[in-house]
Amino acid sequence: MAGMTAGWPAWLREHVWEIRFRRYVALMLAVVLVAAGVWGGMTLAREDRSCAPGIERPEGSDECVGVSTTAYDFGQRRLTDVIAAIDRENDSIASRARVTVAVFQPFSTADNDTLRELQGAYLAQYEANHHESGQTPAVRLVLADPGADSAHWRETVDALGRMAKGPDRLRAVTGIGSSTDTNKEAVRELTRLGIPVIGTSITADDLANGQNGKDPFPGLARVAPTNTDLARALTSSARISTDRAYLVYDKPGDPYTRTLRQSFERLLKGSPYQPSAFHPPQDRTREGATANAFRNITFNICDTPRTTDTLLFAGRHTQLRQFVNALGRRGCLDRKFTVLTGDEGSYLTSDKELETAALGRNLTVRYTALAHFDAWTDNPPARGGSRADARTLAKLLAQAEHEPVGPIGSAPLDGGQLTVAYDATRLAVKGIRQATPDGSRFPGLADVGDVWPQLRGSLRVYGASGWLCLDNHGNPYDKAVPIVELTPAGGSEFVELAWPEGRPPKDNCLPPA
Amino acid sequence: MVHSSLHGRGALFDTEPPGLAPRLTGLRPYQHIPTPYEHQGELPFVVLAGGRGLGKSAVLGELRSAYRGHTPVALIDGEDAQFDRPSPDGHAESWSPVSQATVTIAEQLAEPVTGAGRISFPRLASGLLAVAAGGWSDRDLPRIRQEAERILLMNDTGSWVAGFAGRWIGKVVAKLVASLSETGPVVEPIIEAALEAFGEGVAPTQRRLRKGAAWYCDYPNAGGNPKLGLILLSGHFRAGGASHTHAERYLVRALLADLDDAYAGVVQRAHRLGRPVVLIDNVQEPAGFHLMESVLRDRADGIADRVVFFAALRGHGHPALRNTVRRTLPELARGSGWVPGSAPSSRALLVALPPLSPDETLHMVNAACPGQPTHPQLPHAVHRLTDGNPLGIALIAESARQNLPQGAVSLGELLMADVALHDDRTGHPAHRELLDRLAPDDRLDELTVLAAAHDRDSAFVLAETGLPDDFGTAGVLDLEERLAQEGRPGTPGHFVGDPFLRVLLLLRLHRHDPDHAAWQWVHRTLIDHCRGTSPDHSGYRVRHELALGNVDFAVAHLRDTFLRLDTCDWLSALVLIASAPCYDAYDPEGRHLGNELYDDRGAVALGRTDAAQHLPDGVDVTLHLRVRRILHAVWQLTDPLVLPDPRVTERLRWELEQLSNQKPAGSETLWRASRDWPADAAAGRPFRVPGDDEEQNGGH
Repeated sequence: MAGMTAGWPAWLREHVWEIRFRRYVALMLAVVLVAAGVWGGMTLAREDRSCAPGIERPEGSDECVGVSTTAYDFGQRRLTDVIAAIDRENDSIASRARVTVAVFQPFSTADNDTLRELQGAYLAQYEANHHESGQTPAVRLVLADPGADSAHWRETVDALGRMAKGPDRLRAVTGIGSSTDTNKEAVRELTRLGIPVIGTSITADDLANGQNGKDPFPGLARVAPTNTDLARALTSSARISTDRAYLVYDKPGDPYTRTLRQSFERLLKGSPYQPSAFHPPQDRTREGATANAFRNITFNICDTPRTTDTLLFAGRHTQLRQFVNALGRRGCLDRKFTVLTGDEGSYLTSDKELETAALGRNLTVRYTALAHFDAWTDNPPARGGSRADARTLAKLLAQAEHEPVGPIGSAPLDGGQLTVAYDATRLAVKGIRQATPDGSRFPGLADVGDVWPQLRGSLRVYGASGWLCLDNHGNPYDKAVPIVELTPAGGSEFVELAWPEGRPPKDNCLPPA
Repeated sequence: MVHSSLHGRGALFDTEPPGLAPRLTGLRPYQHIPTPYEHQGELPFVVLAGGRGLGKSAVLGELRSAYRGHTPVALIDGEDAQFDRPSPDGHAESWSPVSQATVTIAEQLAEPVTGAGRISFPRLASGLLAVAAGGWSDRDLPRIRQEAERILLMNDTGSWVAGFAGRWIGKVVAKLVASLSETGPVVEPIIEAALEAFGEGVAPTQRRLRKGAAWYCDYPNAGGNPKLGLILLSGHFRAGGASHTHAERYLVRALLADLDDAYAGVVQRAHRLGRPVVLIDNVQEPAGFHLMESVLRDRADGIADRVVFFAALRGHGHPALRNTVRRTLPELARGSGWVPGSAPSSRALLVALPPLSPDETLHMVNAACPGQPTHPQLPHAVHRLTDGNPLGIALIAESARQNLPQGAVSLGELLMADVALHDDRTGHPAHRELLDRLAPDDRLDELTVLAAAHDRDSAFVLAETGLPDDFGTAGVLDLEERLAQEGRPGTPGHFVGDPFLRVLLLLRLHRHDPDHAAWQWVHRTLIDHCRGTSPDHSGYRVRHELALGNVDFAVAHLRDTFLRLDTCDWLSALVLIASAPCYDAYDPEGRHLGNELYDDRGAVALGRTDAAQHLPDGVDVTLHLRVRRILHAVWQLTDPLVLPDPRVTERLRWELEQLSNQKPAGSETLWRASRDWPADAAAGRPFRVPGDDEEQNGGH
C-alpha cells in the first residue's frame, strides 16, 4: 500500500490540482494574485510623489508643483482660507458654462505675494461670477505652481497646455509674479502653446511685447507698466538730473533688474560717475556675500560730491535691503540721500531684516508701487483712474472678511499686489468675455489673446490700480504709478501718483500712434 | 488517510505498482490522485470468484470505502431482501430485481464526489416511470405518489434549484395522478401526462427529462417517437420472458447512458477524475446476474460504457461465464492481459480469490491482538483449521482478541467462546457466527446433521432417519449440489468436503443439546449403517465409535488388524479413524467425564496412562499399548482444533520407529511414516501414507 500522504499539500493536490476545472481556476487565481502582488509591490516600492490631485513632487525635488484644482493649500496655512474660498466658488459654478483661468505662482514657497495674488484673483473671480453674473462664461480659478524660482515651470506649463486643450477650457494664465529668466521661459512656452498670459507684476522690459518693435510673446498682456515706464514715471516725479544721481545695479542682472538698469542708464546718460555693480547669488532671495559689496559701495557713494543726493538702485529686494542697511552705516551720515528704485521696494515693508534705523539717518527710500490703496483716496487726478474703481475693490475686500465671500486670510497693508492681481484677473475676464462670440458660450483659445489690443478706449478696464488701456503689444499705456516712501517705522507711505508720460492719459485713453 | 486493511489482496489495491482496481478506475485507493489506465477502450467486467468466506464481500466493501467520495460508487448485494420481491404494497408486474437494482445503483451513484456534484439519471427516470406506470391503478394513490417521487428524484442534481425541483416534482406527480382513469389503460395517459409535464418548463430539470425521454425514440419499433418507445418499454417489461429481459436491458442501458453523460464534454471531464465504479455482491443472484448479462451483451454489441464493474460470484464459476477469461489474483499484479473475445461472457474477467497464506494469517492474528501474548503456534493452527479462509481467520482472530484475556487457550475454546462483532451487540459463539456466514442459512440444521456423514449414502440414511420428511434424499442431493456450486464439493470420506466448515458443523451438532443426544444418535445411526455395508466401511464405523468416545474399540480394531492388514492400508485406516472429532472427554474406561474440552490424548500418547490401563486378556500388551499411544498421538496431532504439541510429535516418531520393529514386512513403510508424520504435523499438513499418493484418508 502507498505511504501516508497528509497535510495541506496533499489536500491541495487531491482537492484542487487533480481536478482540472479547479486546477485551471486556481491557476487563474494564482496568476491574478501574482499580478496583483507584483503591481502592489511595484506600487508600494514606487515612491508616492503625489501631493494632491494634479500636484506632485518632481524627481529629485521636495517641492509640490503642478496645477491644483482642489482645496489643497500647498502646505501653506496662510493660503488655506483663500484657496478654500476659491474651491467653493469653483464648485458653485460647476453647472454653469465656465472657463478656467490659472494663477501662476510659487504657492508652495513662503512668499507673501502668493497670498495677495490669490486674494486679488479670487475677488475678481467672485465679482465676475456674482456681480456680473449675467455675463458668460463664468470663471473658474486653478492654481499653477511652477516651484520656487519657477524651477519646474515646464511640468506645470505642460499641464496647463493639456487643460487648454481639454474640457477644463483653460483660457488665460495670470499671476506671473516676477520678471525672472525661468518665468520668461514659462511665458514664452505658454504663449507658444497659444495660451493667453496676463503678467500681474512683471515689469521687465524684455518680458513684454513691443520692445524694439517685436512681439516675442504673442498673447501676453501686462497690468504693470514696463520698467522703462516705471523709471520714466519715477524720474519724472523726482525730477532728477545726471549730476545728482548715482546708479547701483545688479550684474549681470535678471530681466527686471537689467531693464530697470537700462532705463536708469538712459536717464543718466552723460553722468560723470561710473555706476557701481554688485554680484548677487543666482537665487536673489538669498543673502550671499553682497552685504560686503554694498559696504564698499557706500564708500564710493560718500566719495561723490555733496551735490549727489539721489541713488538709483537696479536690484532685487534682498539686495535693496542690504544696500539700505549698508547705507545706514555709511561714513557720510551727514549727507542726505534718496534711494529710488522699482516696485521691489515694496517688499521692504514686510522685511524683518531691514534696519529701519537707517531710514532716520538722512536716508529716504522711494519706489514705484504697482498699486496702492491710498493712491485714489485723497484728491485723485481726474483721469487715469478713479476713487470709485478703488472703492469697488475695497468693498469686496470688506465683504470677504465674512461668509459667503470670505474668509480669505489676513488683510493686506497697502494692497499693491492684491490690487494688481485683482486687476489682472479682471483683465482676463474682460478679455475672455470680449472674445466670446455672440451666441456662443466659450471663446476660442487664440481669440482671447487677440482681444488684448482692443481693450482700450471705451473697452478699457477700469482697474482699482488705475485705467488699463492696452497698446498694440498688450502693455498698459500711461498706467498710473504710485510713488511710495518707506517710513522709519518700517511701513510705507504713499507719496504721489506719477505717470510714465509725465501726466495722466486723456479721457479717451487711446495710446498715441 | 486510511489504506486497505485487507491482507493478501495487494494485486487489487496496491498503488505501486498499481493494482487492478487503480488501473481500471484510474484512481489511487483512498486518494484523489490519478493512475494510468490499463484499458483505454473497453473494460473487463471483473468477477471475483470464490467460496463463502474468501473475502469477496470484504473486497467489494473495501473498494467502496477506497473510492467513495472520489468517484461515483454503488454497491448492491444480490442477496439483499429488496431484490427478492417487490415491497409489500408494490406491484409484481412492474417490478423486477434488475429494475430495483438500477434504482438502488443510480441512487448511490448520484452522490456528489470531490470536484463534482450530483449525477442525474433522466433516461432511467423516464424509463422507470413508464415501467412503474404499468402497475398503477387509481386505487393506490399514496403508493403511486411515493414511487413517482422516488423515480423523478433520480433526475435531481441537488443544486440550488433543488427546492424548486422538489415543488415541480410535486406538480408533475399531481398531474400523473390526475391522468389516471377508473377504467381503461393507465400506462399511455400517464406517459402522455409525464411527457407533457417534461415539455412545459425551461428549467434544467425539465430540459434533462425531455432529453431523457427523447432517448426512447430509438427504442425498437418506436419509429422515432419517444412516447411510443416508452409505451413499448412498459409493455415489454410486463410481458415477461424475453420481452421482459429486453426491457430490463434497456433500463440498464439507460442507467449507463445517463452515467456517461456525467463524463461527456470538456467541462464535465474537467470536474471528474477516474471512472465510476459499480460493485455487485452475490452476482449469482437474479438482480446482479441479469444486470451483468445486460452489460456484457451490450458491450459485446459495441454499446460502450465507462463503468468499472466488480462483481462477487459465490463458487468458482458459472455456466453463463464459460468463455470468461480466468486469472488468479497474483497474475493480476501488473496487468490483466485481458482481451475480449466475441462472446458476451468473454467481456468478463474471472478472478479466483485465493485463500490467505500462513504469513498473511500470522499478520492478521497479530494485527487483531496487538500487544497480547498469544501462543506462538496459534496463527499456524488458525491457518491449518481455516485453510486460509479470510473470514474464518478474521473471526477467530477477533475471538482471540476478546477471549484470550479471559483464559481461552485452544482453538476449540476460541470457537465455542462468545464473540461480539459489534460493540453494541451481545456476543454469540464464534462457530455460530462463522456458520451464519459460511453455510447456506436455509439448510443449516440439515447440513449440521449431514456433516457427520462420510458419503452420499450415509447422508441419505441420516436424512431418512432423522431429518424432516420434506428434506429426504432430494434435499441431500440439492444440498450436495449447492455445496459443489459454491466451490465446496464433497471429498472421499466426507459428505461435507470443506474441512473448516465440517469442523464448525460438527461442533454445532455436538453442542445441539446438553446431553449430546443428537451427536450420539447421528453417530450410532452411522455405525449401524456401516455394519450393514461392506467391510471396507469398517474404518468409518470405528471412526464413529471413536467419535462417541469408544477408544478401546478403536484400539482393539487397529491392534488386531496390524499384523493382518497391509501396512499401508493399516496406516490409512489409522489416519481415517483418528480423524474422528473429539469434543468430549472420556475417562480411560470410556466413561463420559462431562466437562467439555478435557483432552487427555496428549497424556495417553506420551504413555502417562499406560500403568492405569486395564489390559484385555490374551493380547500382546506391548503392541496394544503402543497402538493405543500412536492412535492418541495421531488423533491429537491431526485434530485441527488442537495446537500441535512437539512432545507428542516426537513421541509419535519414536513409537512408529518401535512399531516398525514389530512387523518386519512393513518395517520400511512404518519407518517412512515415522519420518513423514512428525514433519507433516509440524507443517500442519495432512498425514501422508507412504505409497498412497491419492491420500484417501480424509483429513486435510
